[in-house]
Amino acid sequence: MLKKEGMSNEVETIIGPSVHVEGDFVGNGDVVIEGTVSGKLRTEKNLRIGETAKIFANISAANILVAGEVQGNIKAKESLELTSSAKVFGDIKTNIVTIASGAIFHGRCQAGEEKKSRLEKIDDKENNKNKEKPLEPVIK
Amino acid sequence: MYLYLYDSFLNDKRFAQTLAKIETRLTDLGIGGKIYRLSPLRNVEELISDEVKAGVTNIIVVGNDKTLSQVVNVAAKHEVALGLIPLGPENQIAQALGIPEGEGACDIVAARIVKRVDLGRINNLYFLSGVKIFSSEVTLECEELYSISSKLKNALITICNFRPATAQLAATANYFNPQDGFLEVFIQPEKTGFFNIFKRPDRQKTIIPFKKLAIKSKSSVPVVTDGQRVLKTPVKIEVIPKKLKLIVGKNRNF
Repeated sequence: MLKKEGMSNEVETIIGPSVHVEGDFVGNGDVVIEGTVSGKLRTEKNLRIGETAKIFANISAANILVAGEVQGNIKAKESLELTSSAKVFGDIKTNIVTIASGAIFHGRCQAGEEKKSRLEKIDDKENNKNKEKPLEPVIK
Repeated sequence: MYLYLYDSFLNDKRFAQTLAKIETRLTDLGIGGKIYRLSPLRNVEELISDEVKAGVTNIIVVGNDKTLSQVVNVAAKHEVALGLIPLGPENQIAQALGIPEGEGACDIVAARIVKRVDLGRINNLYFLSGVKIFSSEVTLECEELYSISSKLKNALITICNFRPATAQLAATANYFNPQDGFLEVFIQPEKTGFFNIFKRPDRQKTIIPFKKLAIKSKSSVPVVTDGQRVLKTPVKIEVIPKKLKLIVGKNRNF
């Protein structure tokens, strides 16, 4: 999980509170955002959105911690954590989700592995069987 | 073979004694060589090219950041190791390289720890330590993908290869490595006013690693490389990985 102070010893990108980033931002490692970002935001590693941050973008990262405001869809490969100060207006998709009390979240949430329910599997099997059956000739 | 390039300000009498000591120490260590004194009339490029053809493999600059920056542009074009014996004011690069001032630097040159470091290239000029932008009203276009701008009017914007003197070591320990293949955009608010003294600068800072960047502005803004050459925006900056062989000390900060 993400630590609030210093995620790892690797080099991280820090966007301070006085900075505005616009466009397709692709981070090289961990990314910490305290400023404003609009466009797209993507990193293969961890992402921390600080309390002062405002994001108007679709986000994609391995682990995401949100303490600020996000207007856009969030996709976290591993885990997503919304702290009590988080404001999220958009859909979220992740494996493990943690939402603290007080967090604001408007959108759809999809958490957990993408496994089909038993009923859907039976439906799929039946559909496949029907496809395999050869068509009978129609005799008038 | 060693070539020593003395800056013109070392002609001043107050450096005579230190230079004599340095020359003695270099002879004792068995690394003496040709000595040239730089002057506005002497063409550094021609001088170095001729000496490299004659077999020089180590160029040692005796002077400060400005002297080194002047030679870096030429040395980068040849396969030579560049060293520094810091003398005089403004020696921040020497600190980053872990080289003490004066006579102590001779031992570093003799020990010859050679590291390949990245160089920055602004338009067609190389720079070693960094670029200072004298206005925060600029837009930095990174990797042709996104743009960075500062909301503050008094922000200090620097493009760094080596750690800038204004960056706190503890807060930026993982950054500003001249061997990582990246340059960094470093933005921090200028400390003005009584209340700003108490604000934690590490919480205000912005550090973004990049490989390619363009600096644009509405009106022309001065940009200074290594505290020496002045250019005007728009400019293009990129990193040239492992371009220069540099003689460094054990106490270097990367």
